[in-house]
Amino acid sequence: MELSRRRILQLGMFGVAGLATGGTAACSTSASGGSGGDKAMDLWYWADGLSKKVVDEAVTRFTEVELRPQQIGGNFKEKLVTTMSSGGTFIPDITGIKGEDFASFTPQADRFHNLLELGADKLASQYLPWKWKKGMTKDGKLIGFPIDIGPTAHFYRRDVYAQAGLPSEPDKVASQMSTWEDYFAAGVELKKAVPNAFIVSEAWAVYNVAVGQANARYIDESERFIGDQDHIRKAWDLAVRATQLGINAKTKAGTPDWNAGLAGGTLASLTGASWVAVDIQSAAKDTTGKWGVAAGPGGTANIGGSFLAIPKECQKPDVAFKIISWILSPENQAKGFTDSALFPSTPATYTMPALTSPSEFLGGQIPAQVLGPAAQKIPAQYESPNDQAVSAPFAIELGNIEASGKDPNTAWADAVAEAKRVGQRLGVK
Amino acid sequence: MSAAAPRTRRSKRSYWPQYLAISPFFVIFAAFGLFPVLFSLYLAFHRWNGLGEMEFVGLDQFRFLVEDSTFWLALRNTFAIWFLSTVPTLCFALVIAAMLNSAVRFTSVYRVAYFVPNITSLVAVAIFFGAVFSTNFGLVNAFLQTAGLPVVEWLTDPFGMKIAVASVMTWQWTGYNAIIYLAGMQAIPSDLYEAAKVDGAGPVQAFFRITVPMLRPIILFTVIVSTVNGLQSFTESQVLFGSNTTLNPNTGGPGQGALTMVLYFYHQAFDNRDFGYGAAISWAVFLVIVLFAVINWRLVQRRASE
Repeated sequence: MELSRRRILQLGMFGVAGLATGGTAACSTSASGGSGGDKAMDLWYWADGLSKKVVDEAVTRFTEVELRPQQIGGNFKEKLVTTMSSGGTFIPDITGIKGEDFASFTPQADRFHNLLELGADKLASQYLPWKWKKGMTKDGKLIGFPIDIGPTAHFYRRDVYAQAGLPSEPDKVASQMSTWEDYFAAGVELKKAVPNAFIVSEAWAVYNVAVGQANARYIDESERFIGDQDHIRKAWDLAVRATQLGINAKTKAGTPDWNAGLAGGTLASLTGASWVAVDIQSAAKDTTGKWGVAAGPGGTANIGGSFLAIPKECQKPDVAFKIISWILSPENQAKGFTDSALFPSTPATYTMPALTSPSEFLGGQIPAQVLGPAAQKIPAQYESPNDQAVSAPFAIELGNIEASGKDPNTAWADAVAEAKRVGQRLGVK
Repeated sequence: MSAAAPRTRRSKRSYWPQYLAISPFFVIFAAFGLFPVLFSLYLAFHRWNGLGEMEFVGLDQFRFLVEDSTFWLALRNTFAIWFLSTVPTLCFALVIAAMLNSAVRFTSVYRVAYFVPNITSLVAVAIFFGAVFSTNFGLVNAFLQTAGLPVVEWLTDPFGMKIAVASVMTWQWTGYNAIIYLAGMQAIPSDLYEAAKVDGAGPVQAFFRITVPMLRPIILFTVIVSTVNGLQSFTESQVLFGSNTTLNPNTGGPGQGALTMVLYFYHQAFDNRDFGYGAAISWAVFLVIVLFAVINWRLVQRRASE
């Protein structure tokens, strides 16, 4: 019996069906309704992007519109860009924009309302100046209203540091490890005293923070590539040095090894933004009370931290702005910290009870006492819309040094060359 | 349709119920298949971030692509992963199908069991495999250690990463291919086997001398499907090595060891919002697959003429 054509076709259909199920398995969408009267006002944010309690309260408080908050799951930026480029009624009236995505929206500032024209200038003094500036375009329009920030600090295991003969009290940790060099020296001591204990989790944890501590990033305000200059090279050399000293655990954040390292004490410290504490807590529940937070080595940087924006399609921008500025007022940012671990962008909040209560997880420490002063020392950096694309080769080449021991000088030359090429394609000079 | 259909000519208009009945597919295909394909070709000649003005750049995106070492790395990775997954998948599938074919009891239970991986959420599977291949606390390394073998850094070593991705794919597609082979095996007449038995052939000989040659067209079909599927692999790498950092997601893990062509396309288009370049990459992927289809076609032709 020969295999008939029909049989082949049947198998083909079977195959196509199988491919289709495989291909769509990863996608999930939560569509939003565009119906509703003139009063409807859609607010897009992501889980824990705003305090849900505050948002719910806003719904009942602002009755001149029908506020409809929606938590958008999955890749938020992708969904926002797709919706905005398609135009029409599905565009939200108020939307969150993640900190790392914000710069890429600034070339399309005309798609958003300038919040300064809606009365934002009167509120400027309540917010951290560098964060306020981050929400602005080069020509001085404010399109992003500050939600939270991510001031970096040094999180460490008190018990492991003590075991290695290092200081374990935050003040002493901060003063002994105020520079990266001292931090690395402590790492060498730690490794000697406690085998398998690392002070650096991965090269990126050093590099990314060190880049954030400089006054400039990869591209300057006239859109020229400056990623080959000393401020980036310095951060690069630090990350390389940590790897060469053998104090780098080379463990990527969020992986099972990372979780296990935090729980087991082999990852004895992390340099990262305020929300790292939340990550540690969920990775290593059993280490409650064993962690401490101190001012980070080499100063502070900001990682992450989001904004709210009002797209041009919003019919009642004045009401939308009233809602935004209420949700993000210093009082409500205190609730954002309690409910969703959003570190406030309003310095006045740092002394409110919500932020001055001790954290059991951090051994009874009051985290805002470290992070509050740090937040005010963060340098204002210009972030180009192409910053992320140009930074990618540096992260990749650092990964090559970690994974395959690539020569650091070759890796640097490759990273710079690739970054320049990528920049050129995107129109960076 | 019955053979006794009227031969009389009917005006085209009178066929509208039939056209209407088949229209949903074509409407959906035009909206979600044809239009995006054509639009992506248009995009490949432009620079566009999804919101602003499109800027015509001619062949610049393709010129960049040819010189883009990352793209060529992604191409090599894709081939390596495809090879590492397809060969074991099809070998295991053939053996499993032969065993299913001769199973006496619970045949449908086995068939369902082997097919379940194929319809399991790939994200869940990849997360599970991420734990299995974890360096210090994974199942695989635990086995290696008890066997006295050196531990492999499956999720950071570029070759180990490819094996991890390939095993996810193997796990997912073996059962699916086995079911297809099984269907083919059941179409092989049993008198062939009986004749072989009379002539004194054992089960192994019967497998290699009867089953495999008779299954050749089906094996070819599965090779083609696996090729198309393997060259477009994306989710496995994305979930296993996807978002290690918020600033630089989907670059294929340490050393970009698991960066596949489609993942690179996704990264450029949806992380960097560089839709023009993303479109150019997707057309390059298309060309690679066409090339493979031609090679396959040639092989089939030669077989047929032999």
